[in-house]
Amino acid sequence: MQRGDYLIRKTFYALITLIVVIIFNFFLFRILPGDPVRALIQNARMDHDAVDRIKAQFGLDKPIWFNFEGSTVQVIASEVSLLAEPEAGSSVEHTASAGERLNYEQRSEDGQWILAARSNAEGSVTARGWAPAESVKVSVNPLDSQFFVYMRNLLQGELGDSFAQRGVPVSELLAERVWRTVVLLVIGEVTAIVLGIMLGIVASWRRGSRLDTGIMLWGLFTWSIPTFFFGIILVILASGHLPTGRMVTVGLKPEDGWAYWADVGKHLILPTITLGIGFTSSYMMVMRSSIVEVLSEDYILTAKAKGLNTFQILRDHALKNAMLPMVTLITLSLGYTVGGAIQVETVFSWPGVGRLIYDAVGDRDFPVLQGAFLLIAISVIAANFLSDLLYSALDPRVKVE
Amino acid sequence: MKNKLWKLLTVMIALTMLITSLVGCTTPTEEPTESPAPEEPVVEPTEEPVVEPTDEPAPPEPVTMRIGTTFLLDTVNINVSWTSWQMWRLIYDSVVETGELGVYRPGLAESWEVSDDGLVWTFKIREGATFHDGTPCTAEEVAWSLNWMIDVGNDSLSYLWWNFTEVVALDATTLQITTGDPLGNMEYLMFWAFIVPESVWGQFDTYETMAEFVDLSAATGTGPYKLAEYEADDYLLLEANENYWGGKPPVDTIIFQQYASEDAMVQALMAGEVDIVDGIPSTALTTLQDLENVQVEIMQAYALDELSINTHEDGTQPESLLDPVVRKAIEYAIDREAINQVAYAGLGTPGTTMIAPSLGDWHNSEIEAVTFNIEEANRILDEAGYVDGDGDGIREWSDGTPLEYRLMATEGATYARMLEIISDGMAQAGISAPPTLMDYDSQAALVYAWDYDLNMWQWGMDIDPDFGMVIFKCEERYEWGWNPNGYCNEDYDALYVQSATAVDHEERRAVIWEMQEMIYEARPWIVLVYIPSMQAYDNTAFTGFKTDAANIWTKWSIMEVEPVQ
Repeated sequence: MQRGDYLIRKTFYALITLIVVIIFNFFLFRILPGDPVRALIQNARMDHDAVDRIKAQFGLDKPIWFNFEGSTVQVIASEVSLLAEPEAGSSVEHTASAGERLNYEQRSEDGQWILAARSNAEGSVTARGWAPAESVKVSVNPLDSQFFVYMRNLLQGELGDSFAQRGVPVSELLAERVWRTVVLLVIGEVTAIVLGIMLGIVASWRRGSRLDTGIMLWGLFTWSIPTFFFGIILVILASGHLPTGRMVTVGLKPEDGWAYWADVGKHLILPTITLGIGFTSSYMMVMRSSIVEVLSEDYILTAKAKGLNTFQILRDHALKNAMLPMVTLITLSLGYTVGGAIQVETVFSWPGVGRLIYDAVGDRDFPVLQGAFLLIAISVIAANFLSDLLYSALDPRVKVE
Repeated sequence: MKNKLWKLLTVMIALTMLITSLVGCTTPTEEPTESPAPEEPVVEPTEEPVVEPTDEPAPPEPVTMRIGTTFLLDTVNINVSWTSWQMWRLIYDSVVETGELGVYRPGLAESWEVSDDGLVWTFKIREGATFHDGTPCTAEEVAWSLNWMIDVGNDSLSYLWWNFTEVVALDATTLQITTGDPLGNMEYLMFWAFIVPESVWGQFDTYETMAEFVDLSAATGTGPYKLAEYEADDYLLLEANENYWGGKPPVDTIIFQQYASEDAMVQALMAGEVDIVDGIPSTALTTLQDLENVQVEIMQAYALDELSINTHEDGTQPESLLDPVVRKAIEYAIDREAINQVAYAGLGTPGTTMIAPSLGDWHNSEIEAVTFNIEEANRILDEAGYVDGDGDGIREWSDGTPLEYRLMATEGATYARMLEIISDGMAQAGISAPPTLMDYDSQAALVYAWDYDLNMWQWGMDIDPDFGMVIFKCEERYEWGWNPNGYCNEDYDALYVQSATAVDHEERRAVIWEMQEMIYEARPWIVLVYIPSMQAYDNTAFTGFKTDAANIWTKWSIMEVEPVQ
């Protein structure tokens, strides 16, 4: 029963975190300087109407927080004439009949008149004029704002459509790319973990020796070198021998079977080496220091006294305890891994989520960024959740507080 | 739990920092510059491309051309596309096409003529052109396409035809366009008239429904290539249109592969992963030139770098900038040659007017830019009474305000070095202008609020001089307008109307020359360099590219290319 409570509480906290992230995500990208429409159109020649149409299509014509502007006006008098100027005797722009809906534009300073517009099916305005305030009813929907539309869509499981790739749903983009990033990360991470643990063990067992110094130096070197820089060096070294960019040679299809997968495998080599080497050092150093710490414990001395050999001591006594900090590190680093993926995918033109994020930042593609960050947040939260569970399973001392 | 939240926050903040640092890496892409071309001059339209029954020994290997690029089509729906026009031109034909820069050639129209009053244009549409889906492309189709784009909308193109009052097909080969005013650049307007089929677009009658259409079949044109595969931000695969009215293209498959940077592309060319790279950084120039199998093409285009001086009457600039003497002194203090060296390895051309020399006789070749001369800059400032009264090295205006300006450009290593040259020169003339870099849209926000002093920008420009002229019109001074410098002059606007309605080439040229001179003298812009277009290809794979259009893979060039055996 304790365990059930614990699970429920953890799940509850994870959900709260997720909600915070969802809200945070929305504002995070909107505080970036710049305007998505401007960033996307850049120098393209376009007229004002086209820009307005695009803004409306992206939903960027709405206010961010609350929409007090009101969206429509319903005619309640039997017939209303929209006047060019809010005064008697000015020319009639359009005559609206009872029940007709018009776009609300603004209220006059004295509040007596309302500027309304009639638009056709294409969304362009066909008539605009002032109506007496008492003859129309303005229906204000404060929730018709960018933020609440975003929340409502999310609740319905919709991540919206990409700005940059007009009309393509973000969920489709992510679904298509996520596995490519996962493949890259899993291979990179597994290499790093295996290599890191092995090197860490060797270094700690031989601590103080030249081997240890060598491994540590190498670890510090690879740890300090920026991922993108390391990637570029590899590109230069391997250029001509291995594919230096993209995921697969254009033209090959999954239907081609073995040839396709072999080609993908070749393209994977450089990015995964870059990721793997980059991650190895931190695992290695944490492994080394935690084994060193464990090795100084009295029970190791006892084990030695019992006549156990090196391998047995490491396996049965040192490793188990030393693995605890590793579990935390591995799960926690999942979040940072994505950051690494952005760099690696950009250097190697790997079409994964990282590249998507990189391009989306340049394009101020809010829906894609929101979707990708939500995905990252979910995986980080899930990893943390997993680490909590694993931790309590691995270390009996960690009990539910 | 609290520290879990913190962990998460740390991750998010780290990502945010990463993202913000990435924001800096964006540089503006080129404008919808153009220059592709159609097919050989006037091919007799009737010759149906029948499969030659000649006694060829063996079917030749299909020829594939791989082109490395940093950007692809933004969408498969040309009506909501804002970029990559050169690629679109391989899929679609226009009514009029181009070959060499600034030279118009027949496209879907074989010939055209204008009535004496300059208001009625008649285009003879060629026979034998068909859309990729098999529908014949007659004058009726062309008229339908133009009318549909005008009524329903095309983000980037439909506004061009605002002056058309009637577009109608008189018969299957005659298209007639009536305009409200005589138009001086009808060829240009028709060069942008991509023809889309009714069989695909007839089902849409509103912009909203049309804009959602992103199926691969949206890209159905009459051009030499069919869109076979498209992965956004990844690759584009075009297949030759065997029934192309201009004959079967010599390259069977063209693959555009997207790379994240020009440097990555250069690596791919050296490794043999691509045959052509769409652009090369000037830092890679010598490396590539030393390779035997790589041919580097350096072509003069019409893009330019420019320094805008805020001359808007409601701007936040110091009043001294409104003095033409100060603006002239600034020009004297700019070392264009050094900028050209740093940014384009000396391969660009020092600039004078908004119309590049590569646009032929539209460029006013009589204007000579003042040359870099610090002494002269100092002399005219001294003469005008701008002296350094307090001995801090910066001159002051008569009211005591120092000549201190904000100087900005788009983020990027090259821009940073260019700004430094400008800033250093001005410092030597006693004008302080420390450089600032920011990303494109932040810059745009300041520019169109007239909240800046000096701003450096890159422009793609276009094949017709009209766009260069539009930039200085009063009515373009609004948030989404084209005027970034605040210049407004009624006389100039009147000349613009003349230039737009002069059907006679010589008459139009004279007006355009006058306008260039006017802007040059007023200096709301200082044109720094005309930017060269640099591309490279593997000469063991292909030869015979046309290099006169600032791009070696234009439709015109691709149709002439020869694969090396």
